[in-house]
Amino acid sequence: MSTPNAPTAICPFSGAAVPAAEAAEAPQVAPAATNGAGVAAPVADWVTIPDLYTNPFPIYQRMRSESPVHWVPAVNRYMVTSYAACHEIEQDEARFSADEKNSLMKRSMGHSMLRKDNPEHQVDRDSYGATLRPGTIKKHWNEIFAANHEKYLGELLAKGPGADFVWDYAAPYTAENLRLICGFHNSTQEDLQRWSQTLIDGTGNYADDPEIWAKAAVSSAEVDAAIDEMLPVLAKKPDHSLLSGLASMPIPLEAIRANLKMTIGGGLNEPRDVLATTVWALLKNPEQLEAVRNDPKLHAVAFEESVRWVAPIGMYPRETTQDGVLEGVHLAAGSRLGVVLGAANRDPKVFEDPEAFNIFRPKKPHLGFGGGVHFCAGTWIARAQVAQIAMPALFDRIPDLRLDPSAASVDAGWVFRGMTKMPVTWG
Amino acid sequence: MPTITFTQSTGEAAEITVEEGTSLMRAAVTNGIEGIVGECGGQAMCATCHIYVRPEFAGQLPEVSDDEDEMLDCTTAERTHASRLGCQIKMSGPLANIVVDVPSDQV
Ligand code: HEM
Ligand code: FES
Repeated sequence: MSTPNAPTAICPFSGAAVPAAEAAEAPQVAPAATNGAGVAAPVADWVTIPDLYTNPFPIYQRMRSESPVHWVPAVNRYMVTSYAACHEIEQDEARFSADEKNSLMKRSMGHSMLRKDNPEHQVDRDSYGATLRPGTIKKHWNEIFAANHEKYLGELLAKGPGADFVWDYAAPYTAENLRLICGFHNSTQEDLQRWSQTLIDGTGNYADDPEIWAKAAVSSAEVDAAIDEMLPVLAKKPDHSLLSGLASMPIPLEAIRANLKMTIGGGLNEPRDVLATTVWALLKNPEQLEAVRNDPKLHAVAFEESVRWVAPIGMYPRETTQDGVLEGVHLAAGSRLGVVLGAANRDPKVFEDPEAFNIFRPKKPHLGFGGGVHFCAGTWIARAQVAQIAMPALFDRIPDLRLDPSAASVDAGWVFRGMTKMPVTWG
Repeated sequence: MPTITFTQSTGEAAEITVEEGTSLMRAAVTNGIEGIVGECGGQAMCATCHIYVRPEFAGQLPEVSDDEDEMLDCTTAERTHASRLGCQIKMSGPLANIVVDVPSDQV
């Protein structure tokens, strides 16, 4: 299965990562030193996409220690790596717009709420109603997540030791949850996984590979057809899903389609990856796992520490609306930025011993769910399905779960980062 | 202009002056008040702007909406009768000189 993190065609949510050749063709020149209005961003020409993909964290360490903002030719963007600078961007949508020009995400998925600024963004965001909110999760989704979990944990057990934690369990479980949250009663979890991956690949298709566009277009058409079929059904027989709420709302079909495609792209990988990363980290830190076993409240703490430690969305894009200074660095109007949450969440100015996974660290707010008006709409859904439902049941049912000593796990990616391979064993 | 006083659990208090219409969360974040995070920018989605409103101001507050109510169940520090989300309270005449307590934990 192709991963969302493949070095050549990258992100969805970020719109990052241009292959080096293309970056050279369309250079966006870093500004020369400016008079008083901040210093010019240093150029990080030593940063390469394959290195970021393998392990971005040493790169982020060096970048953060040099400057909060760099111009990175390989990515064709400024990369913002300090906590303070990322936080400033999140809290100021007037200066830092989400409505990026020439966005591949818009081409692949349509113009969703994630690429709109307020007031337009808020209309779309409000159209999601109460579906993703804690009240509905408690009253409705938790029971469904628990049943789905039972099923896919059963499939992992049936597959036997050596099964892959990500592809035989975390992926189908989170895909099935998302299918029901969206209201695709006419589709399968496999459809959701295929749509998600191909639409994401389109969003990262900087190389303009026609085959990737073709696959994204097929998925896009399939999603449109599935939505068209479900809306009238759900209008007659409503449930708690997103499409059901949207069926009775005066909102353009075009917006419904784009928002659903964005949610399919953004609501599957992240819970899948955080589930695998958290369990991987606990299995590698037995004293922390032991603490979690003895105190079920710590599942939520471990989840949150995992989102800090390896932000599942490592970077997302913004564009400056005006000339200005960010943490002392000058940025011209129209500059393309990458807000590098993966780096901000390991900023030693905020987190002590930031490279370590440590559920006992003093609690501080991380930026893994973003912030400001685009703060992740699925935060509580992710917390519920991973920390509340999956993790406790998993360690209860497979108390001796271990990483397979005969086959190494692989963690990879930077725009999206997670486990791409995680063979496990027990018994 | 109206003022807001944020009192920390240490007893330390900060009085800030704000425009009418500003939310308590925005006022706190803009003025760097310790202990108010406001992650979601006021979407009533994160519960990191939790505050306790002193009883003498309770009668002047807007009603708690369903969204705010369910989010108050998700606060890190204990929810009490005085609990509100700072982002859901906008400054207006009757609230001038409001005093609120900042919880010891927000995340
Ligand atoms: C641990 C899991 C997750 C993480 C770390 C995560 C992270 C994020 C981040 C960083 C953003 C903001 C991106 C930006 O500002 O450009 C975002 C937005 C969003 N996420 Fe999540 N996400 C997760 C799970 C989910 C799930 C399960 C869903 C859906 C069921 C979801 C739906 C959304 C939506 C709809 C937005 C757009 C919000 C807006 O534009 O107002 N997310 N997410
Ligand atoms: S700022 Fe997030 S709930 Fe108030």
